[in-house]
Amino acid sequence: MLLRSLVIQGVWNYRTMLGAGFAFALLPTLKRVFGDDPVALGQAIERHSEHFNAHPSLAPIALGAIARLETDGADSDTVRRFRTAVCGPLGGLGDTLVWATWLPLVAVCALVLYWFGAPGGGVALTFVVVYNLGHLGLRAWGLRLGLDSGRDVGARLTAADLGGVARRLQGPLALGLGVLCGVILASPEGLAAIGPVWVGFGSLAFLVGLVGGHRAWRPAAVLTVVVIAWFGLWGRFS
Amino acid sequence: MDLLRLGLLGGVLGLDSTAVGQFMVSRPLVAGWLAGWVAGVPEFGVTIGAVLEVFLLVSFPTGGARFPEGSTAAVVAVGVAAPYESPDVVAGAVAIGLVWGQFGGWTVTLQRNVNGWLVPRANVAEQGVLARAHAVAVLIDFARGMIVTAAGIWLGRFALGFVGRAWRTDGSISSGVLFVGAVVSLGIMLHDLGGFRRRRILFVAGLALGIVGARFL
Repeated sequence: MLLRSLVIQGVWNYRTMLGAGFAFALLPTLKRVFGDDPVALGQAIERHSEHFNAHPSLAPIALGAIARLETDGADSDTVRRFRTAVCGPLGGLGDTLVWATWLPLVAVCALVLYWFGAPGGGVALTFVVVYNLGHLGLRAWGLRLGLDSGRDVGARLTAADLGGVARRLQGPLALGLGVLCGVILASPEGLAAIGPVWVGFGSLAFLVGLVGGHRAWRPAAVLTVVVIAWFGLWGRFS
Repeated sequence: MDLLRLGLLGGVLGLDSTAVGQFMVSRPLVAGWLAGWVAGVPEFGVTIGAVLEVFLLVSFPTGGARFPEGSTAAVVAVGVAAPYESPDVVAGAVAIGLVWGQFGGWTVTLQRNVNGWLVPRANVAEQGVLARAHAVAVLIDFARGMIVTAAGIWLGRFALGFVGRAWRTDGSISSGVLFVGAVVSLGIMLHDLGGFRRRRILFVAGLALGIVGARFL
């Protein structure tokens, strides 16, 4: 089930989202539980192919808990209600913990290492290993938690305080962001070395991101591309 | 030949972005190194990947959101710049990577619509339907990543060949433009962490550490 959970987004689509992947990951358990009743097996597969959405790294928690419910013989309405109820929390929690904290924290540390002179290949490999220690560890822990807890997984998840873990990691991430800004500012190829006007441009760009949030990303990227293209074309035709 | 190899790499890394594993080998830093390794310029690949990583630090494969595809951006940028292996072309290659990463993100949306047709509305419980849908979707996603990457490198090399050698500024101004564009993402990240006021002590401590480290390490 853990291996199958790695392709839970294999057929991600706007209708059922992770639904089909969820049923695919659960299939061996369903076959074991309903093996001698093809009608019940079919109904269970259809039930689990319905719409489902969660963060992929936390989806094993739901997989484990529902595998436990199905094994314990819970009725289909209970399973369906439970499945619907865990969607939202596992989505929001996973986005905060993994996408908004763990991944950028490891990436920022890797970038700092690289700009402090560590060899590029070593930095890339370290990034992959460290990120996946957290990522795969979280998946394995989540599956075990779900299998052990069944319908009580909510209480066990609350006790585990993954939101608190994310909050504690956000401090080091803020520190790492500061270090990365310092390196971009003061390294021998950095903005200060290019000239004070570039420090001003850099500070302004940082402020635009800080104030504008995600709305600022696309205009900034477009402006960067336009400036680079303009320099290139200016050189070509002048 | 390297177009084929880089295209294959783009296909594999495209799968890692969403469909298979999400081990984050598709992040620009790693994808840049891998593409550089395939093209015979691994350190140059990491340099481009690191710049793109800062740009795309706030881009995650979240749910149904459309996001720039970091692996496509990095492999295309490195594939475009590798024949030159010069700091002069880094800015142009990164710009091409950013544009093509957006296009890659659009093809991911298209792929997700195709996936909706692959999962049948009825008879999903029939023997092998789910496994077949997964296999076909993964194959299509691989082909998508491969074609998008190879096309991006082919077009990007043409574009960079047109203007790349004529870049009128020295390398430091290229770096300046890239760094200024990239630090917007660092501001956005701090915004996501609650803003400067909430994180000022750790952020300023980090800034001081970074400046001291960059000067003396």
